[in-house]
Amino acid sequence: MDVWSSLMDGFSTALTPMNLMYAMIGVILGTAVGVLPGLGPAMTVALLLPVTYALEPTSAFIMFAGIYYGGMYGGSTTSILLNTPGESSSVVTAIEGNKMAKAGRAAQALATAAIGSFVAGTIGTTLLAVCAPIVVKFAVSLGSPSYFAIMMLALLAVTAVLGKSRLRGFASLGLGLAIGLVGLDSVTGQSRLTFGIPLLSDGLDIVVVAVAIFAVGEALWVAAHLRRTPLHIIPVGRPWMGKKDWQRSWKPWLRGTVFGFPFGALPAGGAEIPTFLSYVTEKRLSKHPEEFGHGAIEGVAGPEAANNAAAAGTLTPMLALGLPTNATAAVMLAAFTSYGIQPGPQLFSSQGPLVWALIASLFIGNLLLLLINLPLAPLWAKLLQLPRPYLYAGILFFATLGAYSVNLQAFDLVILLVLGALGFMMRRFGLPVLPLILGVILGPRLEGQLRKTLQLSAGDPAGLFSEPIAVGIYVIIGIILAWPLVLKLIRRSRPAKAMPIGYDDAEPGADHTVASVPPSTTTEATIPTHRKQEKP
Amino acid sequence: MSSAVTGLKGRAELGVALLLGVVGVLVFLDANGLVTPYSKSDPVGPKTVPFIVAGILLICAVMLAINVLRGGKGEAEEGEDVDLTHPADWKTILPLAGAFLLNILLIDWAGWVISGTVLFWGSVLALGSRRYIRDGIISVALSLLTFYGFYLGLGIALPAGLLEGIL
Amino acid sequence: MTIVVGYVPTPEGEAALTQAIAEAKKSNDTLLVINSSKGDALVDNRYAQEPDIQSIEERLASQGVQHVIKQPIRGHDAAAEVLDAADEHDAGLIVIGLRRRSPVGKLIMGSVSQRILLEADCPVLAVKAD
Repeated sequence: MDVWSSLMDGFSTALTPMNLMYAMIGVILGTAVGVLPGLGPAMTVALLLPVTYALEPTSAFIMFAGIYYGGMYGGSTTSILLNTPGESSSVVTAIEGNKMAKAGRAAQALATAAIGSFVAGTIGTTLLAVCAPIVVKFAVSLGSPSYFAIMMLALLAVTAVLGKSRLRGFASLGLGLAIGLVGLDSVTGQSRLTFGIPLLSDGLDIVVVAVAIFAVGEALWVAAHLRRTPLHIIPVGRPWMGKKDWQRSWKPWLRGTVFGFPFGALPAGGAEIPTFLSYVTEKRLSKHPEEFGHGAIEGVAGPEAANNAAAAGTLTPMLALGLPTNATAAVMLAAFTSYGIQPGPQLFSSQGPLVWALIASLFIGNLLLLLINLPLAPLWAKLLQLPRPYLYAGILFFATLGAYSVNLQAFDLVILLVLGALGFMMRRFGLPVLPLILGVILGPRLEGQLRKTLQLSAGDPAGLFSEPIAVGIYVIIGIILAWPLVLKLIRRSRPAKAMPIGYDDAEPGADHTVASVPPSTTTEATIPTHRKQEKP
Repeated sequence: MSSAVTGLKGRAELGVALLLGVVGVLVFLDANGLVTPYSKSDPVGPKTVPFIVAGILLICAVMLAINVLRGGKGEAEEGEDVDLTHPADWKTILPLAGAFLLNILLIDWAGWVISGTVLFWGSVLALGSRRYIRDGIISVALSLLTFYGFYLGLGIALPAGLLEGIL
Repeated sequence: MTIVVGYVPTPEGEAALTQAIAEAKKSNDTLLVINSSKGDALVDNRYAQEPDIQSIEERLASQGVQHVIKQPIRGHDAAAEVLDAADEHDAGLIVIGLRRRSPVGKLIMGSVSQRILLEADCPVLAVKAD
């Protein structure tokens, strides 16, 4: 079946009134959690996982798609109106967006973000629809050795490239792999790490792990550090743009999309680098470079487009290879597994209608976002005045409910609390949570591929290198792992110009890649290229 | 910074290294205890991967300990609603954890409606709300609503516990 | 004697502040500016931000009014904070701004000004925005 007819079938599934309603719920829920402090799309999807067991997988994924795109959208609203980007990917948007809002151009900033997200999301989703089947075609020809290599690459890239400290990334990965080991070994049926507790022999439910790490850990962490002085939100009416704003926005949208999609599709690309690249590019190309740092519309249009295109890009390896590269994709993948759907290249053949309905609903969700968010922006801003006790108590309440309803065992709640405490500790000591989740999800699959590979080669480790693709990937892995060493050498040879790359472990007081933008002005705009935002 | 002088003070992060080490040892011992005859169809066996994982954990534990003693520090995660200028507020966290524990103890015996109410009400209180009556009403309403919502909407029967027969 | 003014960054609040400055100059009293927040939400637009406070500070200084500006965040509502401050400093006058509210709005939200009017131990001067 060709892409077009499959996609049309997808639309006919996604456009049934029931599924349209789920898309709507997802979009609204996603935007709301994107706006609300302390909640993200990953947490929301995790919290909803148990509830969706009663739904058809298709409907559930249509809703998740809405949450995914909606969360991105809501995040940009808060970063523009409040200057507190919740996600690392909207850090760059906040720089110019908040300046625009302060200068009374909040409506235009929100409009260019919204329309830019729509444009980038639509192009990105189209690219996804075109690229994913190609990747699948390529992927089905691969054997276990290549799969093993690809999964290793995804794990190591996320662990070693994202985040500030490789060491802490690997620590997190190790913990995740250990959690993934719990339960019966799939080949020999021996129980591992169960400590004689029969309830553990089924392994730790990925839903419980995800809810614990994303929802309970996060809620406890935020509760311990509540911001004490309230912030002001810049009042805003209905977003709109003038002719000049359109003229200045459309090119950045397209360029941002070009940056965003490929980076999103890479194992460790993420959305931070493309948003940053887009910002720098727009600054260089702009006819109004003097406005950068004071609210240049290009600086909102480009990064926002890049952000959304990256979100679409992320879904390519997720759907085509079963490889998640960000937290939300990881939790969505967990959802696939808990529905008994095997993620990977077979997904398109075995669950074709589901996948295409999901892709179609991404288009629909994008449009819905534009339609409901342009008029509703002032309303979303009001959400921020929700008293926090209810917000965080609500997260804990629904986390408990969700984790309990999976198996109706109080024991799962004990696990939830223990892993929630682990999530809290990881946030406290700067251990990134993404490697842990990926370790839990990919660990068992990685082990499966390893055993299959060596079974084929009768135990000869050379079997791991029996496919050219695998060898190529190991070379890439080698480069990634050796990269900090290379950097160190470069730095040593040029000691005057220290490279401010934060990959090596943080020394106390070490400054992390904070570039002033622009250097000559007195504004406080800073671009941290890593996940944390410096609060002015 | 002379780490030798500062000693263990402000080195809570060593606890993380300890945790990694303990988990690593546990994984190793557990895998070591598995009895596996060599089989041709599964040359890797169930032990290999746990050994690797234990290795990663133990290496990370040692390296993290060295890193921390040399003055390295993991940066706490920031967020929209997070203010890292003040230390963790244990007066909020411990009561929250308490409400959570109470829920675990109560859920099977007293049922979700009661334990959920305790959980939400306790959490709201721990988080600083002082409108006891309004919070109480909201808690009961939320628990009842989810109980019936799950039963009627999703077909999941949460435990009724003490209120069996009434609900 | 002290004059306590409940300040919020709105037209009513500005009106109250202007009136309070006039009163303080007349009687040569210390002016205590109270701007509080319950602090239970991420966003509270009734809590004045740094630049706002700074401009008030400058305004008071240039008018030669002895003043103290306080921004308590203790989880109490605005009425309680103003009444507390008045008690503590033995205030001779409280100045507040009034805004029109529908009867329904008053029923749901309660009224800060009403509580101050009823519970204050000293005269209360209520002004409206122009």
